[in-house]
Amino acid sequence: MKAVDPEHSNRFAAQVAEKLGADESIVISAVANERMASFANSSVAVTKNVNETSQMVYIAKGGRRIIGSSSNPQRESLERFITLLYKSMLTLPKDPGYVPLPSKSRTFAGRPRYDRKLESAETLIADSVDEAIRAAESAGASRAAGSLETGVTTHYIATSSGTVGRDTSSKVLLNVRAFTEKDASGHGLSCSANVSGFRPAKAGARAGRDSKRMRDARQLKDDASTYQVLMSPAVASNLLSLVGGFASAFSIEAGTSYLVGKLGKKVASEGLELTDMGTGEGCLEGRTFDDEGQPTQSTKVIERGVLASYLHNLSTAKRFRTRSTGNAGLIEPAPWNLEVGAGDSGYEEMVKEMKRGLVLTSNWYTRFKNYRTGEFSTVPRDGTYLVENGEVKAPIKGIRVGDSLERMFSSIRLMSKEREWVQWWEVDTPTLCPWVLVDGVTVTKAYGQRPQVEG
Amino acid sequence: MRLLEEYKDLAEYCVKESRRLGAEYAEARIHGGTGTGFLLKNGEPQPSMIDDSFGIGARVIVGGAMGFSATNLLSKDAVKELTAKTMKMAKSSARLVKEPIGMGESKPAKRKVRVVEKEKIEGGDPTWLKSLLLDIDKRVVGLQKEGRGVKIPNRMMVASTGAEEKYVVTSDGAQVESRIPRFHFFGIFTAIKGAGAAQRMIQQGETGGLEIVERIRLRELVEDEARTLMEVLGEAEKAPTGIMDVVLSPELSGIAAHESVGHPQEADRILGREGAQAGESYLSRDSLGMKVGSEDANVSDDPTLANSNGFSPVDDEGVVSQKRRLIVNGKISELLQNRATSSLLGVKNNGSSRSAGFDREPIIRMSNTFVEPGDYATTEDLIKEVKDGIYLKSFTEWNIDDKRLNQRYIGLEAYRIRKGETTSLVRAPVLEITTPALWGSVRGRSKRLEFEAASCGKGDPMQGIPVWTGGPDTLLSGVRIVGGT
Repeated sequence: MKAVDPEHSNRFAAQVAEKLGADESIVISAVANERMASFANSSVAVTKNVNETSQMVYIAKGGRRIIGSSSNPQRESLERFITLLYKSMLTLPKDPGYVPLPSKSRTFAGRPRYDRKLESAETLIADSVDEAIRAAESAGASRAAGSLETGVTTHYIATSSGTVGRDTSSKVLLNVRAFTEKDASGHGLSCSANVSGFRPAKAGARAGRDSKRMRDARQLKDDASTYQVLMSPAVASNLLSLVGGFASAFSIEAGTSYLVGKLGKKVASEGLELTDMGTGEGCLEGRTFDDEGQPTQSTKVIERGVLASYLHNLSTAKRFRTRSTGNAGLIEPAPWNLEVGAGDSGYEEMVKEMKRGLVLTSNWYTRFKNYRTGEFSTVPRDGTYLVENGEVKAPIKGIRVGDSLERMFSSIRLMSKEREWVQWWEVDTPTLCPWVLVDGVTVTKAYGQRPQVEG
Repeated sequence: MRLLEEYKDLAEYCVKESRRLGAEYAEARIHGGTGTGFLLKNGEPQPSMIDDSFGIGARVIVGGAMGFSATNLLSKDAVKELTAKTMKMAKSSARLVKEPIGMGESKPAKRKVRVVEKEKIEGGDPTWLKSLLLDIDKRVVGLQKEGRGVKIPNRMMVASTGAEEKYVVTSDGAQVESRIPRFHFFGIFTAIKGAGAAQRMIQQGETGGLEIVERIRLRELVEDEARTLMEVLGEAEKAPTGIMDVVLSPELSGIAAHESVGHPQEADRILGREGAQAGESYLSRDSLGMKVGSEDANVSDDPTLANSNGFSPVDDEGVVSQKRRLIVNGKISELLQNRATSSLLGVKNNGSSRSAGFDREPIIRMSNTFVEPGDYATTEDLIKEVKDGIYLKSFTEWNIDDKRLNQRYIGLEAYRIRKGETTSLVRAPVLEITTPALWGSVRGRSKRLEFEAASCGKGDPMQGIPVWTGGPDTLLSGVRIVGGT
């Protein structure tokens, strides 16, 4: 059994589809090389290495279409798989969403700049984990947990209209959490497309400092109240990356977005700019081509607080009478990388602006009461601080933030000049994001007494 | 099982090669399967999706360090290279291992796991799935005639069929082969009336063949839920605020059992291994026997339940899985364990290790987590105990902090209870409560035991894994409800 080169594999798959009688085909192969080290209690728990080649195959005939994904790159398996796809497609009715692929062929040469150092990164991983743990402990943590991941992925495309190309991206992500006591923790991230922008010690130190500051955290007095909330790039990007997803035309059609019917309308404060980028300086993911072989681009989703565009593939663009924004997803258009426009404030200045507020450095478990209205809640964790009259007064624990995305982002007071790339467990779409200060956010705490925790 | 048969020798070769290179423990898993999915959006079919995936995942322990590697290049040369790389990575990380990992003594299983399919899952092709979803959509659309101004314009449904196949071998002699067929349904329905909107997510899933659809009466179930959603939007009144008795339905009992009992009782979380992602636990390694609930609080996790979404009678470390009594009469009774945690804590391994695919390491997972049924014959009998309170029948938003102590559930279908009877629908009552307060307030349970399907997320990279959450109706005495608008 012999594995085939991805470009040959794409051509082979396209030939099989054509031979079977398909009118159109798109084959995208992805070759991913990912490495990771997970650590807990300042000790490496596991190292991981995953080499995976997968194919996304789209075929269409007479207005019928089907999508397949396979991780069996061997020729025999691929041929068997495409034959199954073709036969299954013929049993389906014509698809009302079908749009022919543009006849114009394109060649995507790929980006010259990805970091080859991340192709073989064992030493980098081990040294960086060590550096992050030491920095966290030096800053006051008694132990650190986290994961460090490096990835280099190349996508290859071939379509029946003659489009071919390849594109490689690289990234290194560190997520570190430091602990002093059971309830005292801090969080740090360093996310970069290359080694030169990677700062493991800075992330470790930030987590360590917050874990120390969170000792003796207390609960808020009120069960529910409104506060000004200063969100770190990690917290703001969790929510704003969701806004990017809600801008997908698929979500609009499915009614699972609060942005339904709001194109051209004000959905946020004037200072908010949200842009999707297929590729660009510092982008952690994305490609030069989308799943339909269309070039990706930079799309303003929110411009000066106004909803400027949904994200489209060819099919949704036709129904919305507009042009594809290069965000296919054959079924569901999706953002590639999001950029939130910078403000003009510094962190200290933003804290001084707060009369009664909370600084949130990390959050998790954001869930929606209703996607159509954008009502949600999320649970702050790690460094969380009460601010009164411009001064940080006390570390706070045991709170929940609940609001609607539109209300929240229509109440932005300030945003920072400084921005950070964020991608981790709680942020799927890489997002370049500033600190964001918003007014009038509802904060609640749970009913019931805390138990005596043993150990 | 043709592909699995073809690659079995590669898994065995991988384990032998790892041992030859010095691994103290080695494990290899051929893991994959095929699946078909169909998505219907507002009555319009989307392109059908077919997945086909197979690969090998291998894990070794060397010098107290653990290495995991995976590839879908299934040749002897590729596996040899993979094995060497796994060993090299594990050895090179040893300098950063301060807590050496051991796999201890667990009884290795030799078993073939099969699930009965009355109608083969392969029959669930795109045409079959399309017909099923169009049928359901027609029923939901038909409800709008009687909707008194409430419409359900947005209806997104995904149905999928598939079979997961695995072959697990370990250096201490486990050989476990399994084929788990599944049917899964997910839908989001949005009801609109004027400027108001209400939304219901429905998830159903079981192991077995296509007979599942009839067994769970999927068409009727979704139609009923859609009808209720319209009633909620059209009729629900403002919910009260205050301390009151609350009856949780099986759906609510199940999510609470999963989030605030199952997760904090995962031993790897307690030992800190999930600290940076899914978090740790409010419990410690010394919490066995700790009182966290009333005498009526009894919660279990059982991977052996027939037809269950979380069916896993042997785990991915080749160890037989057993029912776990997580909370018995209000006390922490047992944790979810794998080879490493049971070895470290000196307790019996109850076989809780699962992985979502060949490219994911096995970690401790729940299977089917539920509140044990009680003595009340019916839901109504339990509701009769409440003078003034709320019956939470379904929920929308939910979340919990990462130590699993501070949780919130917002009711969707919820009723006011007065003098032992449900009266009006109420809008979005919020139960936001700590774990000991919730389980400490349990005063009664009904006999009916029902389950919901869910996908549980954990690990890094993230692994979503099929589970059931369930329970009976559960009476909570004197908890805080916050009424919405």
